[in-house]
Amino acid sequence: MNSLIELRNVTKTYHLGDETLKALDNVSFTVNPGEFIAITGPSGSGKSTLANIIGGLDHPDSGSVVVDGNELAHTRDNKLSNYRNHNIGFVFQSFNLQGTNTALENVMLPLVFSHMKNKERKIRAEECLKAVGLADRLMHKPSQLSGGQRQRVAIARALAVNPKIIIADEPTGNLDSARGGEIMKLLSGLNKQGITLLVITHDMNIARTAHRIVDIRDGKIMERRG
Amino acid sequence: MRPTDYMRLAFRNIRRQKLRSSLTVFAVVIGATSVTIMLALVTGAKGFFLDQVEANGMLQQVAISAKTDISDFSDASHGYGGNCADCIKLTDAIVDKVKIVPHVTDVARITNDGMLEAITYGSKKLSLEQTTAYDANGILTNNVLAGRDIEAGDKDGVITMTSDYADKFGFKDKYDQLIGKEVRLQTRNFYTGVGADVQPPPQCNGPCKPQEQEQKPTILTAKIVGIVDTSNSSKTIRVPLEWMRGMQQFRQYQMTEADQKLQQESCRNAHGPCNPTQHYTLLVKDMLAENGYGSLIAKVDNSKNAAAAATEIRKLGVGAADAQESIKQQLTIFNILGLVLGGIGGIALAVAAIGVVNTMVMAILERTREIGVMRAVGAKRSAVRTLFTLEASMLGFIGGVIGVAAGFGLTRVANIFVNKQLASQNVHAHDIIGLPIWLILAVIGIATLIGMLAGLYPAARAAKLDPVEALRYE
Repeated sequence: MNSLIELRNVTKTYHLGDETLKALDNVSFTVNPGEFIAITGPSGSGKSTLANIIGGLDHPDSGSVVVDGNELAHTRDNKLSNYRNHNIGFVFQSFNLQGTNTALENVMLPLVFSHMKNKERKIRAEECLKAVGLADRLMHKPSQLSGGQRQRVAIARALAVNPKIIIADEPTGNLDSARGGEIMKLLSGLNKQGITLLVITHDMNIARTAHRIVDIRDGKIMERRG
Repeated sequence: MRPTDYMRLAFRNIRRQKLRSSLTVFAVVIGATSVTIMLALVTGAKGFFLDQVEANGMLQQVAISAKTDISDFSDASHGYGGNCADCIKLTDAIVDKVKIVPHVTDVARITNDGMLEAITYGSKKLSLEQTTAYDANGILTNNVLAGRDIEAGDKDGVITMTSDYADKFGFKDKYDQLIGKEVRLQTRNFYTGVGADVQPPPQCNGPCKPQEQEQKPTILTAKIVGIVDTSNSSKTIRVPLEWMRGMQQFRQYQMTEADQKLQQESCRNAHGPCNPTQHYTLLVKDMLAENGYGSLIAKVDNSKNAAAAATEIRKLGVGAADAQESIKQQLTIFNILGLVLGGIGGIALAVAAIGVVNTMVMAILERTREIGVMRAVGAKRSAVRTLFTLEASMLGFIGGVIGVAAGFGLTRVANIFVNKQLASQNVHAHDIIGLPIWLILAVIGIATLIGMLAGLYPAARAAKLDPVEALRYE
């Protein structure tokens, strides 16, 4: 089987004042389509950097990153934006919803950048909100929703463009364990429908539900089976 | 991203920060209002001036002089065209030629003369410098303050005078009382025109030359039919053109061949020495026909054709100028005034632009995470840049629209006062402070452009944000 994500000898260094921080140190790593991978590690270990590079938000200093046939390492901003728009759904710890917009409008946002007609956007966003169980909350603003509901809106937003990969960075970090469990259930359900899922977490209970756990320590991968 | 999406997003973002957006817009409104008012004042004044020029028909006139080197309308139009030796004289033959030039509808003949030295009403005698006469065919008009202007049928013995003479006669503010009154006009010496008592030379004995006689000043009487505004014409009295022709006539008793024969025959039957009787005939020369008029004013069918008609008239060998050139100079003054006043208003707009920059920089700081999200879900740098530039432009646009509306309201109010002022000065004009459509569009356009320019730097900053940093921004 061809791998969906393939990283070869990827290195990424950050400069913080005089200090240099090796976020990723010669990392090689592959993900097959439909996999559910948990990325764990202490804070500052480079797990977010790994996710950002795969998600096309960040460039590696060296090495190659190929996702679904796209070489990302030296891709220009415009192409990378398109790549994100068509392939990646991001779910953040703090939801990152637009407070003044309704749930529906938040979900429609990625579709704005994929040249879809307004009517089609609405239909698609409604579908996604239904899929995350918020069919009756379309016109609610984030402030009128609970934490769990907000994260569902964020997941619906990630789903909107029909991505191949969902990257969730501590998706349950701001939720209690019951709501967190529901969110993980929703995400693994999406994974079962064929979406490749990368979840960054330091919650081992969540990590254990993944097919694979990729543990990062000081920029190096220590892989374990889940 | 579709244009409508940009518009919708930008507008939504502006509405999100109502207070800050309104304050920023308010600053733009002040700038746009002041620019609007300043430019409306200048355009109004300019329009008023042009209306006046159009109304007195100047734009539809071509001034013609004997001298060919005139460039300015006013040089030629006062009837001082001058008698230069080599010039083609502005005789009736030339007038007839001018009349058939394309676009020319009529011609007024003007002549000025200094042969009248003084004007006396009652016991008051005022000196005269100029007496003017021109065709009363409606081309040259006067602002009549009392009575009437000279009319086409007027004969000898009729004058109008400018108000300053009437003032000096003591009729200030009661010009009506001077209408129909008789004045005496005293000519200079050597006047031989109508009314002059020209005598034949005295008889002389032996071989005698007809000696030059000094002609004493003549007193002519005239009736005042009208008082006209001085401001429109230089201070003068006006007489009907045909009377002027009479005044300029040169009359002299001369010995014609027939007279000489009579003289010879007077001694034919004499026996012895005979003093022949000298016979003379009074000869009248129409000097006006001979020397031509001082200047001519040709009227054309449309002001657009004035320049073409002037060119055509110059081909007759005379000088001709339309009023455009002298009007251009005055319009330049209005244009400079417009720049200065518009610039003053523009300062407020420039200050408003700084407000826009400030607002946008703040907005970007506040919305850093949002920009991160937009970038994460696929917004290109250019989309972010366009969005923020558009937001700033919208602030300018909204400010421009409200500013023009406010300026419009203020000019209406100002017009009420200006109208009163104009009415009190008998000027037939109202609502002169205009707000032409181009000005409305220009002010809105400038405000929008300034908003856009003010937004360029903040928008560039927003577009440059690293999405990873932006998403992490607290």
